[in-house]
Amino acid sequence: MLAEALVEEVLQRARAGGADFAELYVERWRRRALRVLSGQVKEATSGIEYGAGLRLFYGTEVVYAYTNDLSPQGLFEVAETLVKLRGSAGQVDARGQGGLDFRRAVAQGLHAPEIPFTARDKRYRLERIREAEAGAMVGPQIKQVQTQLNEWEQEVLVATSEGVWAEDRRVRTRFYVTAIAQDASGMQTGVMGPGLSLGLELFDRYPPAEVGRRAGLQALTNLRAKPAPAGTMPVVIGNGFGGVIFHEALGHLLETTSVAKKASVLSDKLGEKVASEVVTYIDDGTTPHGWGSQEFDDEGHPTERTVLIENGVLKSYMVDRLGSLLTGYRPTGSGRRQDYTFAPTSRMRNTFIAPGTTPKEKLFEGIEFGLYAADMGGGQVRPGSGEYNFAVKEGYIIRKGRIEEPVRGAMLVGKGPESIQKIVAVSDDLETGPGMCGSLSGSLPVEVGQPHLLISEIVVGGQA
Amino acid sequence: MTFEEARDYLLQKARALGLEAEVLAIENRELTVQAHGGRVENITQATQGGVGVRVVVEGKTGYAYTEERTPEALDWVLAEAHENALLQSETGGFLPAGGELGRHDLLGEGLSAPLEQKRRAALDVELGLRADPRTRQVQMTRYAEHETQAFLGSTQGVSGAFRNGYGALMAYAVMGQGQSLKQSFELEVSKEFHALDPGRTAQEFIRKTGRLLEARPLKTGRYRAYFEPRAFGQLLAVMGMFMLSAKNVLEGKSLLAGKIGQKIASETFTLVDDPTLPGGLASRPFDAEGTPAQRTVLIEQGVLKTFLHNAETARKMGVPNTGHAWRGYKGVLGVGPSNLFVAPGQGIQMDEGIVVTDLMGLHAGANPISGEFSLQALGLKVEGGEVAYPVENFTVAGNFLELLAHITALGTELEWNPMMGIVGSPMVEVAELSFAGA
Repeated sequence: MLAEALVEEVLQRARAGGADFAELYVERWRRRALRVLSGQVKEATSGIEYGAGLRLFYGTEVVYAYTNDLSPQGLFEVAETLVKLRGSAGQVDARGQGGLDFRRAVAQGLHAPEIPFTARDKRYRLERIREAEAGAMVGPQIKQVQTQLNEWEQEVLVATSEGVWAEDRRVRTRFYVTAIAQDASGMQTGVMGPGLSLGLELFDRYPPAEVGRRAGLQALTNLRAKPAPAGTMPVVIGNGFGGVIFHEALGHLLETTSVAKKASVLSDKLGEKVASEVVTYIDDGTTPHGWGSQEFDDEGHPTERTVLIENGVLKSYMVDRLGSLLTGYRPTGSGRRQDYTFAPTSRMRNTFIAPGTTPKEKLFEGIEFGLYAADMGGGQVRPGSGEYNFAVKEGYIIRKGRIEEPVRGAMLVGKGPESIQKIVAVSDDLETGPGMCGSLSGSLPVEVGQPHLLISEIVVGGQA
Repeated sequence: MTFEEARDYLLQKARALGLEAEVLAIENRELTVQAHGGRVENITQATQGGVGVRVVVEGKTGYAYTEERTPEALDWVLAEAHENALLQSETGGFLPAGGELGRHDLLGEGLSAPLEQKRRAALDVELGLRADPRTRQVQMTRYAEHETQAFLGSTQGVSGAFRNGYGALMAYAVMGQGQSLKQSFELEVSKEFHALDPGRTAQEFIRKTGRLLEARPLKTGRYRAYFEPRAFGQLLAVMGMFMLSAKNVLEGKSLLAGKIGQKIASETFTLVDDPTLPGGLASRPFDAEGTPAQRTVLIEQGVLKTFLHNAETARKMGVPNTGHAWRGYKGVLGVGPSNLFVAPGQGIQMDEGIVVTDLMGLHAGANPISGEFSLQALGLKVEGGEVAYPVENFTVAGNFLELLAHITALGTELEWNPMMGIVGSPMVEVAELSFAGA
């Protein structure tokens, strides 16, 4: 996206104050969004985002600046700003004088779309959306259906004073169907939102009519559901997006962003047993076409498959460049950022619980009274205390081992490390689902996943 | 090309093509100084922005935006917005006629202090936090400032610009006592750097977080709730703003549809939006369509008076426009409040119940379409009129409209919170809500 000579000059100028490392991140996004409500195109937008972020390290002190003026003058100005910000009038590091010998690494297209971003016209997109809407009309109580299609194409270049030159191209597509059901008792929703690192062939993987139908059925289920019970009880969590519990209760606690500052309750616990032995937890940035996959992270480091917890024992953290400098742990290709307006930090990619051996039906056996959390919404955590929460989108009562009437509005809360020890059985039906994760370096696409599993007790927040 | 030049270039092109267009250009400036371990660990400085276009063709609206300000990119934006407009099936969109709105500076020189003082402020917050022996870890402390200039123009004659911004001190830390740990954050915001006080930010953090240590489980049951301003403000931001949006009413997503003139909340409850508030963090001279700003009473003594409107929703519903058009350069036309606040009341006499100090999980546990919420909370148990002990590992659940109807008293002091929009609230007492815990 930028000439090598210009990149090199920007990096050299940026180090004029004596920085020992400089990194230039350049990106261009093209985005499209289409929102359709009950057959009416409500909003159609398109956009270009284009900018650069320049980061300098003085030891572990970081200065960062970004701009969307990518002309040589614009970039030189940013470099000067950075040098002044640090307030140092140091000299050019000897290693910076000899010119940079970039090692070019270009993405191989492991997650490349079959249907390119520019292909197919907008009518084609509308037709697929209308199929989703039609699919959602599963009963007369469905009053509104909203479908949103988001398409992103991101070109990235990362170049550093250590000679890294990585170019990546990331295409992601996601559509959400929200069905709104209404009767005399009120208004309830059902939501489905598949997404992958793919083009419009996402519609082949997830036929829109079926996605719509599932959203519609979930809205109807919630309409006839009673408010969830309140109290502490056993809970079976469904596969796929159910994995959000681990994302919150465990994943965020393993990012060096909080581990390096001992601001995670799981700091300094490598090699220790931190979960029940039925738990193996993996963060994989290489899953073909995964929603959170990319060939390079946003520091130009190749992504990898990182085993975080194996049979309950902590094996690795998720490590970015700064985290590696601070802790000495090996970088895991986990440096990510929303866009050029953020400096990268260690973040999750596609994170999931490995399949266990317990048949799904067995999980329910012996539960006198409990909750089956079949589908999940989002969650949240405070790594320093481990306190987390996540919302149940579709839930059912378990009575004497049987799945019975639906309940709505349950939120599960707990303290991560305690809940993880209470996972007593994991089934073999692993699935994953896409989400957006918000943290220090912005909002990022991540996958979460798990098989069905049983937690012996957890606080269920419903109606007392 | 500057942002203003980009706006003028697009309007000129649109006129030449005979298109009705509105251009919103936003230029942001950011400075963040982050301290940790007695040193500044990160400084970020930036200027950034973009240009968003809204095109209306025979009542159909299309949008496009760019951050690249070259003639090629701007031409692409206009063509793309035009194509997007033709795709729309719904008609009824229009660009309001307007005039010269002038240039306004709502920020002034309040943030012009030298960088060294800002570094000191970030470091001093950390010093303040570490002064308490219960502070276990400080993740970071920050001074952050943000300044925005908006340039609006349309082929229908609207033209204007304004500048606003703020500086903030932030503290993120973990406090502990014995085995009990609590992580939290504190935020203080002002348009004047010199009005910020690092010692006060640290003290507030310690007061609010320290009181939650050694919390006990809460027994499941129904309790009287005393929401602190920050907790109520968050709930209001997620639920109230959504339900009061005329856009959501028109799309059949608001439980308040058809309820203008009806009693929807307790008589103690009055809700106001005031973009003209002097010194307000979200004050604005005009909205995103160029409609001059005005004070709006949304709920008066429990009675719903109006929704938040832009020109399009007001015309569709045949009511006056309240001047609440909102959009960013990347986004589409919506409605949004400015300085939204609950009018303070006569004061609260606590007897028995739970003080809710914090709510978590609002993005997933609060559904503004159904009005239902079930949220992780932190709080204090009140017994015999006094705070007895902190409680944890529980949720509070209910229906937002039922909650509004059961407000029994309001505190006398208004507190502004800038976490999800700019929302002001006093302490709010609710007769009874469901709490789930042990």
